[in-house]
Amino acid sequence: MSDTLVSNEVKPIRTTESLKKPSRRQKIFLAVLLMLLVSYPLLQFVVGGLNYWLHMLLFTFMYIAMASSWNIIGGYAGYTSLGHNVFFAVGGYFAGVLLVYFDISPFLTAPLAGLVSMALGLLVGLISLRTRGPAFIISTIAMVMLVKITFDNWDYIGGTNGMTMPPLLDISLDLVKFPFYYYMLFIAIGAVYMSYRIRHSKFGLGLRAISQDEIKAEVAGIPTSYYKILAFGISGLFVGMAGGIWGYYLTYLKPNIFLLIILAAQLVLMTVLGGKGTVAGPVVGAVLFIAVNEFFVANLGFTELNIVATGLILALVLIFFPSGIVGTLKERGKLPPFLDWD
Amino acid sequence: MALLEVDNIRAGYGDGPDILKGLSMEIEQGKTYCIIGPNGAGKSTLLRAICGLLHPREGNVTFKGEVLNKLRTDEILRRGISFVPQDRCLFPDMSVKENLRMGGYILRNRKELEDRIEEVLVMFPILEKCGSQQAKTLSGGQQQMLAIGRALVLRPEVIMLDEPSLGLAPKIAQYIFDIIAQLKDAGMTIILVEQNARKGLECADWGCVLDLGYNRFEGPANTILNDPRIQELYLGRQKQDRQEKTA
Amino acid sequence: MNEFVQVLLFGLTLGGVYALMASGLTLVFGVMRIVNLAHAIFMILAAYIAYFAFTIYNIDPIISIFITMPVMFFVGIAVYWLFFARIKGTARTGELTVLLTFALALMAEGLLGYFFSNVYRSANPPYATQALHFGPYILSAGQFYATLMSISLIALLWAFLKYSRIGYAIRATMQNISAAQVVGVNVERMSMVAFGIGMALAGASGSMMSFLFTFYPGKHWEWIAILLALIVLGGMGSLGGALAGAFILAISSALVGHYFGFTWSPITFFLALFIILLFRPQGLFGKKMEA
Repeated sequence: MSDTLVSNEVKPIRTTESLKKPSRRQKIFLAVLLMLLVSYPLLQFVVGGLNYWLHMLLFTFMYIAMASSWNIIGGYAGYTSLGHNVFFAVGGYFAGVLLVYFDISPFLTAPLAGLVSMALGLLVGLISLRTRGPAFIISTIAMVMLVKITFDNWDYIGGTNGMTMPPLLDISLDLVKFPFYYYMLFIAIGAVYMSYRIRHSKFGLGLRAISQDEIKAEVAGIPTSYYKILAFGISGLFVGMAGGIWGYYLTYLKPNIFLLIILAAQLVLMTVLGGKGTVAGPVVGAVLFIAVNEFFVANLGFTELNIVATGLILALVLIFFPSGIVGTLKERGKLPPFLDWD
Repeated sequence: MALLEVDNIRAGYGDGPDILKGLSMEIEQGKTYCIIGPNGAGKSTLLRAICGLLHPREGNVTFKGEVLNKLRTDEILRRGISFVPQDRCLFPDMSVKENLRMGGYILRNRKELEDRIEEVLVMFPILEKCGSQQAKTLSGGQQQMLAIGRALVLRPEVIMLDEPSLGLAPKIAQYIFDIIAQLKDAGMTIILVEQNARKGLECADWGCVLDLGYNRFEGPANTILNDPRIQELYLGRQKQDRQEKTA
Repeated sequence: MNEFVQVLLFGLTLGGVYALMASGLTLVFGVMRIVNLAHAIFMILAAYIAYFAFTIYNIDPIISIFITMPVMFFVGIAVYWLFFARIKGTARTGELTVLLTFALALMAEGLLGYFFSNVYRSANPPYATQALHFGPYILSAGQFYATLMSISLIALLWAFLKYSRIGYAIRATMQNISAAQVVGVNVERMSMVAFGIGMALAGASGSMMSFLFTFYPGKHWEWIAILLALIVLGGMGSLGGALAGAFILAISSALVGHYFGFTWSPITFFLALFIILLFRPQGLFGKKMEA
């Protein structure tokens, strides 16, 4: 073709973001934060009655892991998945079945559940990521529906009634949340670390190229299909693990609680709000979302308005701050270093 | 005063960088202009800026004394400037006749539109023959003819063609240039952007060489064609070839 | 054999309605190149309008299209102006816009749920429970009339697109947006009009839905998933494709429902989606996607 600038949609050339190594200060910040989080439960012995906070924290860790994972396909690669809770459900049920029928603790099987979810992601990705464009989003929605209908009709796993699972009986009430807390923390750390490593890798660079202009990325020699499919699979890994643990924590599994689109919506909102495509964004978004959600549910409690609020905030963020909190701060040069992990 | 004046315009796409950096040109009525230059020089951008697909960031585009900068494409079409974009740019699933009808989209009067379509079909009998064929089934040359015909439905005073010979076999390309010559004879003002600089300059009165967003050289087409510097820089002739070619 | 034909007829009388639902969605995609995830919730909004028109004012649901279509048309224009007109022109509008329709769907779902609660509703005009007899076969009267009306509306849409000036402009924008701009079509305005028409079609679909199915706000996700599968199968942006996809899947899901049990029939749509993505991702009548 003649002119290099053929279409009307030339994207502005972003200055190359230096993928800097974390500074000493950032490392210290991270170390301190982790120490605090690890030692927090020990306060239970000192003060007691912290179960509510332990619950909130492990819930937050879970969402941090899920948002960071979603970010890999939705943020880095730019392919929106609206069915991510499928990985959650599949992981949950996989670990659940192994517990109920074979007596194997989800603490052992969660990583396996994660791998199963990853396999599902790779399989679905193989079918739906061969094309560019909206076919992928549509297939993620179809994926949720497919899994939901299958689970609803599958008696082995309890159909619509789901399965109840044996709780951790021989631990005192004070301590019962501990294993879940640490496991979720571990999953969150894993997911965020993975997100960080991908961001700073050739793979991550390739994904970002795909999100900016897939045709040019392909022409430049990036194996786009392979990268996309891999990203989608990887994005299911920690989500599946979290699902495995969460089902055990809840002591029951039901298709209805896992496979509602509102959960996928919340995941999208968190990541977009925090800043998709950044490392810190999903973390910030998850924390913020859960805090605000708790506040609203505690004070208002209407589930319908909850849905409206989710949609409204998402719309506002998309229209006015499409790069999210971390992204927008970064663009304006005002990002505090402890949030800058890109 | 020239028919169409481009006065020191800066233009680019979206938020992107300036492609035209300060370009000026004067188009006089009835003459044929050929614009040549390397890739990225802004040739297509210039045409788009004139017909309203792009708005200049600075500078003016003036037609018969009226500034066109802020006008929409349909308003500019109504004033008598038509554009034949690169790559034909047809409606693939519409028939030849329907494409021509779209050419006259801004005409409200049905009868007038039908008459104009007839005129174009008389001018291009080949198009008449494939009247109800879908545009995507036409050959490259037929498509180019249709693209030009579509622009002619509005009986424009100025017609701009962006690389009409692109992708066409030399014989077909020649046919297109013959059509351009016909339009020239009929008194139309023509602005031609061509990669096939030689052919383009041959049928033009005046040539402009664009480079990096500026109008670098201009002059009578013949002069441009035969200027050795331009031949080397833009027409791809090596110093040695010249002896053979002039034979 | 009789059984098979009976099920086939059941599918046929539903296909038209599915096609009507899908046509609005595929039209909007063809013109604006966005997947409107809020299409189904707007259908449900129209269903509520038709439902209340019937229960309060005794207006026949099929006739109610004269209310729902214009109302939804203007709702569409308003939504376009509020949401989509703003973010046009920025790079990467594709993903962003789809997410925006997602947000829109959530808001609408929440509001409808808040005002009308999640009670299952269904209008029941007399023909909703009647049956028509064609020889040895039985057809649901409601489905039959609904499909007839749907097909008529689709035919009207087709004629509008083929013969009217705006129809030309819309088709032009669907086929080659740059060329449309070159000939002076105001593609922004056409997008808005097309969106309005898409919503009007959703309005008519909602009227049909009000008596054919039970509905409640949360159900729209099921519907949008089905419609999306339909248009992917038929080819996104192709009206003929929407028609073909609708009938094929309506009949297939009827067959699946009959031979495997009704709870399995929705799965037909989603399996079909993955199958078509595997073998012919552009759908039956679609073109290869550009990015």
